[in-house]
Amino acid sequence: MMADLHLLTILVFFPLAGCLLVLPAWRRPAAARPLVLGVMTGELVLALWLYASWQGLAALKPALPGYLLVEDAPWIPAFGIRYTLGLDGISLLMVMLTAFSFCVALVVSWRAVGEKVGLFLALLLAMETGIMGVFLALDLALFYLFWEVMLIPMFFLIGIWGHGRRIYSTVKFFLFTMFGSLLMLLAIIALHLLHARQSGVATFGLFDLIATPVPAATQLWLFAAFFLAFAIKFPLFPLHTWLPDAHTDAPTAGSVILAGLLLKTGSYGLLRFGYPLFPQAAHTLTPLFYALAIAGIVYASLVAFAQDDMKRLIAYSSIGHMGYVAIGIAAWQPVALSGSIIQMANHGVTTGALFAMVGMLDERAHTREIKAFGGLWGKVPLWSFFFLLFSMASVGLPGLNNFVGEFLVLAGTFTKSPVAAGLAFIGIVLTLIYMVRLVQEVVFQVERTPLPLADLDRREMCLLAVLALVVVWMGVHPAPLLDLIHGPVQLLVGGAP
Amino acid sequence: MTKADLMALMPLIILAGGSVLVLLAGAVRPGGYLYGLSIAFVALALGWTVGAPGTAVMPGLAITPFARFFVLFLGCAGIVALLLAAGYNRRRGITGEEYPATLLFALAGMGAACAATDLLMLFLGLEAFTFAFYLLVAIERDSVRGGEAGLKYLLNGTLSAAVLAMGIALVYCSRGTLRLSELAQPATPEPLFLAGVCLILLGLAFKLSWVPAHLWTPDVYQGAPAPVTAFLSTASKGASAAAVLLVLPMAAGWRGGHDILWCLALATMVCGSLAALVQTSIKRLLAWSSVAQMGYVALAFVALPAGGGRAAIFYAVAYAAAGLASFGAVSALSDGSDRDAIDQYRGLGYRNPLAGAALAVALFSLAGIPPAAGFMAKFAVFSAALRGGETALAVVGVLSALVGVFFYLRVVVALYMRPVEGTAAAAPLLTASEAVALAIPTLATILLGVYPAPLLDLLARILG
Repeated sequence: MMADLHLLTILVFFPLAGCLLVLPAWRRPAAARPLVLGVMTGELVLALWLYASWQGLAALKPALPGYLLVEDAPWIPAFGIRYTLGLDGISLLMVMLTAFSFCVALVVSWRAVGEKVGLFLALLLAMETGIMGVFLALDLALFYLFWEVMLIPMFFLIGIWGHGRRIYSTVKFFLFTMFGSLLMLLAIIALHLLHARQSGVATFGLFDLIATPVPAATQLWLFAAFFLAFAIKFPLFPLHTWLPDAHTDAPTAGSVILAGLLLKTGSYGLLRFGYPLFPQAAHTLTPLFYALAIAGIVYASLVAFAQDDMKRLIAYSSIGHMGYVAIGIAAWQPVALSGSIIQMANHGVTTGALFAMVGMLDERAHTREIKAFGGLWGKVPLWSFFFLLFSMASVGLPGLNNFVGEFLVLAGTFTKSPVAAGLAFIGIVLTLIYMVRLVQEVVFQVERTPLPLADLDRREMCLLAVLALVVVWMGVHPAPLLDLIHGPVQLLVGGAP
Repeated sequence: MTKADLMALMPLIILAGGSVLVLLAGAVRPGGYLYGLSIAFVALALGWTVGAPGTAVMPGLAITPFARFFVLFLGCAGIVALLLAAGYNRRRGITGEEYPATLLFALAGMGAACAATDLLMLFLGLEAFTFAFYLLVAIERDSVRGGEAGLKYLLNGTLSAAVLAMGIALVYCSRGTLRLSELAQPATPEPLFLAGVCLILLGLAFKLSWVPAHLWTPDVYQGAPAPVTAFLSTASKGASAAAVLLVLPMAAGWRGGHDILWCLALATMVCGSLAALVQTSIKRLLAWSSVAQMGYVALAFVALPAGGGRAAIFYAVAYAAAGLASFGAVSALSDGSDRDAIDQYRGLGYRNPLAGAALAVALFSLAGIPPAAGFMAKFAVFSAALRGGETALAVVGVLSALVGVFFYLRVVVALYMRPVEGTAAAAPLLTASEAVALAIPTLATILLGVYPAPLLDLLARILG
């Protein structure tokens, strides 16, 4: 019955349909913003409703094992491409994160974006559709389509509303991602042809292709192409250089979405497509994956320590945090993988919140230099309180959300590779150093320049309070989310050596 | 010739007859209505093709589903080109009935080329439309650039016609027939025959701007009036691709034919993409990009046995939509002087949203980014190439597509992200006909990108 409602199609295309609502209010931002907030909230409510009823859905036993909802229809028969969407626990978590992050991104740019508001809102909605599609597609060609579609709005977002060297940054971002994706496209087609040659059926369906036996040498090449595409998005050292630029020059909404969602599409792609499709190749390349992830953690932490720009510092901290996600996936073990997935959501919330807060400060002081601030605790106590909270979450303070993810990742990885876990642990200490330095310089030092700063207004208060609530709730009581992803994780890990 | 044959041939007769009638009407009463009249003739031919599809086989010509498809495809491009030209030519003072009449004549020639069953008719069709373009490129009599472009096109074109004719002659000497179906019979290929096939391919390479026969492209595209460039870069490429498809069976069993196309595809993709990187004129950039795009068509032809034919035609259609939209936007935004430097496009995405959006969608399509048609086209070409075992060429194609993304983005960046310097003159308003002319290819680009299944099925059917 539920499948007949085409809930997944609605989930994907409802935001895009929302663009039509914006059209009449194109030149009246005051009317358009609440409309779009309504659309995004509706999407969030739908996602939360799906979460509330996931156990009921799981009991219905849909077409694919482990999936809550599946939709399937022919789309381009000439190529064997189908319109297949599927929702399992992992996707649901990502869908919730997406819907939530877009609300955050909209509210945070409520006043910051004053020019070309209609276009801005339409692009946000279009991007939401693209990202939802990425997290739900189960047909490789469809996945690739969404994967590329979501880039276009981000390209415009950074290029039009960004700061500094925005054009350089946005073109760099676009070219980096395209480079990986295009090779992945060839790999997808090659895998499709391999399957067609063996079975005579032309399909891009994930589960058909997983069943294809691929010769080891070919597998290595194909996996390398997938890995490259996902590693650029992740981003793994040394493919990360687009990220600091893109983050620094992006508008706050862009940073929130980049950190919260676009990076996650890389890790999601790897665990949904890369590992299950090419288990042996993934196994062969695991040491490399570990090495890149740990190098990234250490390198990003050291570089973060040397930053003067708060946004750039948080951007580098993002690379470090995603390194833990990478280690958890590399371990390919139930506990570590659960940790990775939870960490994906955690990082989206905390880093999104940090970017939002730096954006708020930037709106007031028109600078993000760490050296310009100091003594904010006395001047803007509310802002300082939330900043301290999210920084501590980012460091991994027990009781806050990141601790759960990092702990699970390290605990799981320890059973597989104690060395990697040990080295990754050092990274946590490094994170502590640069985050504490940041907080100390900005919040506690004596005031360096007399900046006329106003504390948070009601809109910002509400936003940060909600984010703080999520951070604490996910830190104190992560069990429901772990239950949600438990089944899918077991299925994923069971399918690989 | 029976009555049924005549009925099947009617679209071509309408186009050719319409051309003459427009010339006569212009002599009696010149005016802008001639564009409308020409559009009506093309629409009539299209309507006839769809409404009364006939199949006929005559000496030299065969109206097959293949030919009917191309009449439809090229006719649509012709309508868009006429709509564009109506506004542009009025602004530029290009008056006279010869413009629409020549365009109709070009369409008739393209139709004949696509319906050819022997090499002579193919040659006639190809040269008929090339001849029409000699006139169209240089139609702006006071323009120095136009005259230069016309002369360059004429010299290069006659050379290629001579090469093509020589090739046909050699093939005839060796086999004693010009009929394509007989020439496609497998036989031991003798050197004379192969030399002829090579010369024919070289002649067609000129029409498709395949490297090394591409050198005329940037100069001619830049010098010709923008609506002519829009038509030249799309319809003539489409018709020439059809001609290649008709000729290639002659070289089917010959490995050398594959190798020649392989080299052409490689050189064209790489050369076009790299040269486009350094252009500052949008017309030259689009010209080099069209060279690169034709490289992908060549890549599809390399993989002909693996379903490359369908990929090539799909690519040609997707490219035509994008080409019409991009050159169309250039044409609609040009007033007294051509708006040619990329810097002149700063901020135009806001000052003229429709033209800006058409150009942006077209550029994304050319760059092969979904949901535009160009992505599906590249998808089709790459899957044909991989199926045909051309992995190396596919990888080169992907990398040159990446280079392409960079230079296409430069224009998008100018349109939407660069600040306008000084007080920019107001962007010209679009006339209604131009708005329609831009909307048709833009919508087609998005539609083919999102739902290409009907066209792909149709192509599968006509290629049998």
